[in-house]
Amino acid sequence: MKAFLHNTWKHRAHVVMALPVFLILFFIMYVPMAGLVMAFKNFNYADGIWKSPWNGIENFKFLLASKATFIQITRNTVLYYLLFTIVGTFLNVTLAIMIDKLVFKKLAKTMQTLMIIPVFISYAAVQFIVYAFISSDTGIINHTFGSSTKFYSAVNLWPIILLVVKIWKDTGYGSVLYMSVLAGIDSELYEAADIDGANSWQKITNITIPSLIPMITVMLLLSVGSVMHSDTGLFYQVTRNSGILYETTQVIDSYVLNAIFKNSNFGFVAATSFFQSIVGLLLMLFANTTVRKIAPENALF
Amino acid sequence: MAKMSVKKENHKLDIAPSRQERVTVGQIILAIILIAFTLFAFLPVELTFVAAFTDEKSIVQNGFKFWPKDWSLAGMGTVLRYGQQLARSYTVTIFVTVAGTFLGLLFMSMYAYSISRKDFWLSKFLSIYLLIPMLFNGGTLSGYIIFTSYYHLKDSLWLLILPLCVTTMNVIILRTYIANSIPAELMEAAKIDGAGEYYTFFRITLPLMKPSLAAVGFMMATTYWNDWQNALLYIDSDAKKPLQLLLINIQKSIEFLLNNSNVPASARAAMGGTIPQYSATMATVLVVIGPIMVVYPFFQKYFIKGLTVGSVKG
Repeated sequence: MKAFLHNTWKHRAHVVMALPVFLILFFIMYVPMAGLVMAFKNFNYADGIWKSPWNGIENFKFLLASKATFIQITRNTVLYYLLFTIVGTFLNVTLAIMIDKLVFKKLAKTMQTLMIIPVFISYAAVQFIVYAFISSDTGIINHTFGSSTKFYSAVNLWPIILLVVKIWKDTGYGSVLYMSVLAGIDSELYEAADIDGANSWQKITNITIPSLIPMITVMLLLSVGSVMHSDTGLFYQVTRNSGILYETTQVIDSYVLNAIFKNSNFGFVAATSFFQSIVGLLLMLFANTTVRKIAPENALF
Repeated sequence: MAKMSVKKENHKLDIAPSRQERVTVGQIILAIILIAFTLFAFLPVELTFVAAFTDEKSIVQNGFKFWPKDWSLAGMGTVLRYGQQLARSYTVTIFVTVAGTFLGLLFMSMYAYSISRKDFWLSKFLSIYLLIPMLFNGGTLSGYIIFTSYYHLKDSLWLLILPLCVTTMNVIILRTYIANSIPAELMEAAKIDGAGEYYTFFRITLPLMKPSLAAVGFMMATTYWNDWQNALLYIDSDAKKPLQLLLINIQKSIEFLLNNSNVPASARAAMGGTIPQYSATMATVLVVIGPIMVVYPFFQKYFIKGLTVGSVKG
């Protein structure tokens, strides 16, 4: 105890400097973690989170009973994660290699600057840009092709629309990381390959791609931790939160947001959130352990 | 013949410019593909700028166009007529962005500095404390109930600032920068010269952290600027409505003006009888995203650096 006080006093400056972040994390992140007990309670506003009566696993039974919704939002969340991750990684890497290979360096730089811009536009704004393309009477697509597709009620088209929007928004930015790896490749490797008579394609498959593999692996693994979380704005704003489209567009995060606004179904939502957090935790631990084995310097902890 | 070609090859090798300077058909094709992708990325942005200044009739008749025949300032004019609310929202967004980014950078670099001191006995505990929120979180619902019914912060700007103020990843980036790019000897030397911890941090470490602060700061600022979810969840009053919320409500406001007969005749007259809803909406989008577009080129090199630093743990 004496040692504790002594050490604390000795490092009081460090303690003071760490305090603001400590408190913010405590009140903003840690206290809501405790709030997850709601999943096991029959919540009502009057009693609040702590005093609402316990109801065991009733909420989870409810979750499983209302199969359709729970399975639908979980399925959408996971499938969109897979779709975005697979297509996204492929495009990020391809784009990075293409920009790296281009000999017109000035042009490459300018193009990169322009490609990154979409990532800085909020989804609240993106929805209006998307609207300009797919609105049924004033949209560019319908006017260009002379069609009259009603995109905002075409349930089956939304996975494609959301994928295109996601690619548009994130690809330029996503390639930056891989480009920095490419910039670090020793140019002597390429010169040696030239002397051996390798063509460009052989250089890409034998030098460029292998040197990107570690980074790709790490990024994929780290993204596994967020399988259960989505880019809420994409699903909530870009779809204009339209009920007709829920079947293919509603994910866990947007469902939770809707429930809060409608002030309903808190038991169900609390159970879903609990499920989401636990699965997220397990996946994150799994991902980190794996990264630690193959590339310790990239592990988070 | 075979001999000839070998000779030719050798000759080529001798004078071949390095791979960076060779322009081949392949390079031209590559350039075309990349230009196509750049257009894909940038045309929607261009459309926003153009649509904001397109004549309303032209949009209604011919749809949105990347380059319209008829231009008009009516859309922008309508936005400016919101004047007061727009100014208020701008003030709120700028305040939240500046205050949040400033506090976040200050607090997070102090924390990063503390936990990177090897002799600080709590640094291990504080590192784990920092990491846990990245692995596990209470979710939106739990946060919503705690913030509103326990902290009673509904409709408070604090809820636009605090939840985005501290992120684990940003602290890690700053800590990595301190560990890798600032010589520890410098701080030790300061200590030997009798400088206190605060002096060492504010006068020596913090100024040297500038590149990482610029990178993290720019990312934070765009996050604050673009945050719509916290605003939608927590902000009710017009006086505290940030730009993103104004944007989300814009459609409703325009429809309200179009359909509601309670709107005073004078207000309608001021609108010239009609409201150019499409161009006005795009003009609002432009007003909201414009500032980031202007600032971004200046910060590009920093945030690219920051992204790279963040990916490699020290």
